Amino acid sequence: MFVRELYAAAALLLVALGLYCIASKRNLIKTIIGIELATLGVNLSIMSNGLRIVEETPAVDALAQSMTIVSIAIGASVAALALALAVNIYRHYGTLDTSKLRRLRW
Amino acid sequence: MVAVIPEYLIPIPEYLIPVTVLMCAAALVPLIDAICRKAGFERSPGIVATAAFAIAFAYLLKEAASLPLEGSFRPFGGTSLGVELKVDSLSVYMSLVFCGLGLAASLYSIEYMKEDTGLDRFFLLLLTLVAGMMGVVSSNDFFNLYVFWEFMALSSYALVSFRKYTWEAVEAGFKYLVMSTLGSLAVLYGISILYGLAGTTNFEGIRQVLAGSTSEAAYLALALIIAGFGVTAALVPFHTWLPDAHPAAPSSISAMLSGVVIKTGAYAILWSLFKIFDPGEYGYGAVLMGFGALTMTVANVMAIMQRDVKRFLAYSSIANMGYIITGLGIAARALGVHGDVAAASLALLGALFHVLNHALGKGLSFLCAGCLIHEVGTRDIREMEGIGAKMPATAGSMAVGLLTLAGVPPLSGFWSKLFIVAAGLGIPGDPYMVLITALFIANSVIAAAYYLWLLQRLAFKSPTERASKAKEVSAIMLAPVVALAAMCILVTIFLGPTIRLIEYAVGVIVGG
Repeated sequence: MFVRELYAAAALLLVALGLYCIASKRNLIKTIIGIELATLGVNLSIMSNGLRIVEETPAVDALAQSMTIVSIAIGASVAALALALAVNIYRHYGTLDTSKLRRLRW
Repeated sequence: MVAVIPEYLIPIPEYLIPVTVLMCAAALVPLIDAICRKAGFERSPGIVATAAFAIAFAYLLKEAASLPLEGSFRPFGGTSLGVELKVDSLSVYMSLVFCGLGLAASLYSIEYMKEDTGLDRFFLLLLTLVAGMMGVVSSNDFFNLYVFWEFMALSSYALVSFRKYTWEAVEAGFKYLVMSTLGSLAVLYGISILYGLAGTTNFEGIRQVLAGSTSEAAYLALALIIAGFGVTAALVPFHTWLPDAHPAAPSSISAMLSGVVIKTGAYAILWSLFKIFDPGEYGYGAVLMGFGALTMTVANVMAIMQRDVKRFLAYSSIANMGYIITGLGIAARALGVHGDVAAASLALLGALFHVLNHALGKGLSFLCAGCLIHEVGTRDIREMEGIGAKMPATAGSMAVGLLTLAGVPPLSGFWSKLFIVAAGLGIPGDPYMVLITALFIANSVIAAAYYLWLLQRLAFKSPTERASKAKEVSAIMLAPVVALAAMCILVTIFLGPTIRLIEYAVGVIVGG
């Protein structure tokens, strides 16, 4: 019935959670987790938009699946790079607290 | 029996060779470096990368000679699984700008980066950066564009924080990564909404479905796309990463980022908006003009206050993006509200010409700033005063770049701004357009003033203690700088042919 709307709402919720996490948390790792949550939400949004009801059975378009897989791979590379930078930040500052490393105006 | 060759095995068309060359070279750089290092030769990455850029650039020049050309390529056959590559005058023009500056930056980096380690990775990332940008301009499918976009973005995050032993590079890189990734996610969310509406991610397919009607979902997608690409295009208020990231990167990368990477954002806004959304029905021209005016005003005010030469140039890049986005906005409004194709073409011509002028001028200024920093050892403008007498070739080239950016009349930077202003004032009876154009003129004057002020401080003041010890940089670093300065002047001399090339590119948006 409302399968597509349910998934779309869940996707929006995940994106909102991710943004909240990025905006409110001061730990770099939590910021990265926030980015990943938002990425997951967007991936779910692609899947929900590719949902087709064929003879009362939900099925997902192949294009949406291929897009989501590529997007997961891109999300993984972004996370890897972000974590690598977090390691380097820890080496410079000895902390992952963003409020302690604002030498640049954030 | 004739064996049936699967369609995805057919060889790539000729116009995709430049991107392919860069991608293959990126894969080969570490391999060749590993072999050469055993033989005791450590400079192979820079040479391989520069050679690849030169080959790709030569190919693009050959293509530019045979304009207008058009073609598209679906490697997976008719049922395009989210992949379609195209070639047209616009993509050839943009690729030429990207690849040309890439060639200069690569040649410059051979000498500039010689004290750093891990150069195979540096040149690999530089190659994938340019390949990603050229992929963005040759995508005819929104998801395909997104993948190339991320290719470019990931390379640039890594390049900004390449000198990971400095706190500034790492912190600026992380900030850039967070903001730019959020922008990319906004774009991807917009793509997913459009895909839900149209059932395809192909630009042409989405346009056909959306034509003739507006819906809230499409407006949401439009807003997400402008905001998302706006992060990379450094639209105020999404610009805060740029003044940190551009100065923190090595100078040749600053030149690439300020010169062309942010232009990819402008291209993506141009292509996805004009190709998918009808400017009349969605009326985004006013929004783009508003963003453009805000961007140039804020950035020009901030630029005056900077003491760090690279931060100064970074803010002036934001201001120049404001000019380009305003040009796009004027074009969209002229086309959508007034139905004036001539004014829209003129504004687009100005905006695309300004892409070239700013790429040349800002690339040149950043490379020169790199030479100055290399000699003086600081980025503080006050310490660099009067260095012109000690480094005449560098300072002379920088003068050409700054005068181009300032828009001093015979130079090409003047003409691109003039086209945008002429288009904005060419439609009587639209007070909003006249207001934005007046702001545009005021900003150009302010910008010209601070470029000339910087030039005056560098060239005509009596040298400071540190500046008087400086000497001219080596020939291999000077070669790309002088070449870019020569390009600035050549574009001015061959104004006619250059504008004809850009007119073909404009024709792709409004004429075809």
